[in-house]
This record gives sequence, C-alpha cells and structure tokens, in this order.
Amino acid sequence: MEKNRNALKVAVVAVLTAVVVVFTMIVRIPTAKGYLNLCDVAICFIAFTFGPWSAFIAAGLGTALADLFSGYAQWAPISFVVHGVEGLLVALIVRQKGSVTIPFVTKVVAGFVCMATVSLGYFALSAIFISGVSVAAAEIPWNLLQSGVGVVLGLALAAAVKRAYPPVSSLAW
Amino acid sequence: MTTNTFVAGSGFLYRMDPRAKIMAMLLICVLLFLAITLEGLYATVVLLILVGSVNTGLRHTGRTFKSILPMLLFMALFMPFNVRSGQSLVSIGSFTLITREGALQAARLGGRFIGITYACTLLFATTPMTDVMLALRWYRLPYKASLVVTLSFTYIPFIADSFTQISESHRLREGGELEKRRSVFKRLRDLLPTLTSALVVALRSIPYLAMSLEQRGFGRSEKRTSYHSLDSYRHGFTDFVISLTIPIVFWLTFRAR
Repeated sequence: MEKNRNALKVAVVAVLTAVVVVFTMIVRIPTAKGYLNLCDVAICFIAFTFGPWSAFIAAGLGTALADLFSGYAQWAPISFVVHGVEGLLVALIVRQKGSVTIPFVTKVVAGFVCMATVSLGYFALSAIFISGVSVAAAEIPWNLLQSGVGVVLGLALAAAVKRAYPPVSSLAW
Repeated sequence: MTTNTFVAGSGFLYRMDPRAKIMAMLLICVLLFLAITLEGLYATVVLLILVGSVNTGLRHTGRTFKSILPMLLFMALFMPFNVRSGQSLVSIGSFTLITREGALQAARLGGRFIGITYACTLLFATTPMTDVMLALRWYRLPYKASLVVTLSFTYIPFIADSFTQISESHRLREGGELEKRRSVFKRLRDLLPTLTSALVVALRSIPYLAMSLEQRGFGRSEKRTSYHSLDSYRHGFTDFVISLTIPIVFWLTFRAR
C-alpha cells in the first residue's frame, strides 16, 4: 500500500513540476515594461490544492528548471529556494482539516506571505549572491506585482479546477 | 518550447567527466565569492569565456552574453552611485557622483555575475541532461528525486502542447482582433478558462503515470539497472584533478592580501 502511495507521490510531483515549467516559460502576458510570467499562478494553485510538500518540491524544482531552460542557470538555485519556500508557506497557511472552505482572512494572509516571500527572498538572495543591493531593490515592485497576480489567479484557478475535476482532492498528500 | 540546453560539439569539455565538471562549476562559483583581487576575478572570467568559446563556439558565447546584457547595463548604471564613501572619481560641483570604491564594487559584482553565468551555462551546454542526472546520482541524489526530474522532462512537451492547442481553440472562438484591444487585466481574466482546461488535462494524466510506475516495479527493493552509464568518460581521475587544481591555483595566485 505504501509502495502505491509512493508511486502516486512521485507522479503528482513530476506532473506538477512540469506544470510550473510550462506556466513559467510558455504563458507570458506582455506588458509595457516587459512580460508577466505565470509561475506564481501555478505555485499558488498547487499550494491551495495539493499541500505543502508537493508545493515546495514542484515550485522549487519547476522554477529552477525553467531558469535552466531559458538560459538563466545562475538564477536556478535562488528560484529553487524562493519559490520553494513560497509554495511551502502558502500551503501551510491554507492547510485545512477535511473539506472545510478556507476562510477569506486566511487567503489574504497567504497572499501577503506569498508576495513578501517572493519579493524579499529575491531581494535578499540576489543582493548577496548576484547583483548587489540597488539592482536587487529595483526588482521588488515587479516581483510584488507578479506574485500578487499569482495569488489572485491561483485562488481562482484552484476553485475552477476543483469544480471541473473533483478527483483532484484525492491526489493531494 | 525548448527544454534542451545541450549545444552539440566535440571540444575537450564535452569529453570531460560530468562529475568533475559539476565539481569544477561549484568550485569556480565559490572562488568568485572568495576574497580575490579584481584582476584575479576577471582572469577567471576571461578563462571561462575562452574555454566556452573554444568548446561551444562564439555564437553560443554571444547568446549567453546577450541574455545577461540588460542586467549588466542595469548594474553599470546604478551600482557606482550606491557607494558614497571614498575617493571621488566624478563630481558635479561639491556633489560627488561616483567614487572609486563605487566603481570598483560595480566592476566586481559585474565580473562575478558574468563568471557565475558562464560557469553554469557551460556545464549544461556541454553535458547532456541524462549525464547530469547520472552525475548527480553519483553525488548521492536520491533515486526518487532524479526520477521526478526525468519524468517532468517527459511531461513538459505534453503539457506545453495541450496548453497551446487549448489556447488556440479558445482564441479562435473569441476572434483575434478583440485580443489586441484588451487590457492586461482583462487578458489575465480571460486566460482562466484556458489555464483550467490545460491543468485538468495535465492532472488527468497523474493516475495513469502512477499506475505505470507501479507496473514497472517502482518501489521494489532490488536496485534498478540503467541503460546509460558514465563509463564512457575514460579520464575521470585526471578530470577531477584538473577541476580541483585550476580553482586552487587561481585562488593561491590572486587571493587578496
């Protein structure tokens, strides 16, 4: 029985990692200053639907792989840590016993934690390891916007997918 | 969508053992953070670019440089103004614009950024992903972790294709002209049905994948065999010695006193 559960866990994490890569690399919304990628949408969806460990591994690994494929390998370890922690924290906050709906306040708290983790995480790690304080600080508004959009769309997506494919709840671990 | 970072070639880096290459990459990244002189830092960067150009070609080197150019420009424009103390280099009246320390710090961060980028890019450009995974397994990466990465490589094109198909069919129903006039927020909201459909397609494949893993004996205690191995790299020991020697020599030569 444990073996079967392990196979399911591996399958869940592998497919979700691929989902994060696709959302990061393919879905890009052009804006005046560049583009928005939807990695945070995928991460929040996974955190709201699948639980902390799936969210941590899929978010960290997925964004790191997307960086690798896009030719920004130097950002991969930072993305792994920041987005992994983002997924883990959001999932831990919204974790519910049974099928109780998540209270609105909890969703708001999760959203703020998500935005703070992404913007502060990227700021701290890229200031230390990559670009220095001033360049890292310039990225903060952009990261806030992207993670904010991610939380809102992620929540909507989690609700929509649960309606369209109810067995999704049985895949969480 | 390209998920392959390998650039075909036959240079000496391609023949180098991936395990030694991973170690070299990590040691070079560490070296760039150690207290070495600016000359030492740029000597390391120049060596990396030369090795890269010889192995993967000037075109690939140029492409890598182009990808980090916006960030480098941003660094060059903003970093020097960050440090206010030290000897004045550029000043307007009594206001010091750029100090020597500021310019040196910008040069150091820029050099380090280029160095890390090239070190990482060269590893993945000269090593097939299967060999990277085998090398990581040799470094005791758990089997489950490498299986997750390998499986997600297989699923990325499948999910990307379904997403493209679904979004194209949604776009056909909406009409192309409308899209140009919509705001970013409207476009994001309209993306929701496409994302939902693509996700449902992806999630439906999970039970089948789990079942096929079980049927292929996932979780058995016997060690799995592999069609592929790192035995074709014949000079493992020499490669490890080279990977260890170069960063150590650079550190001993250029360490800041």
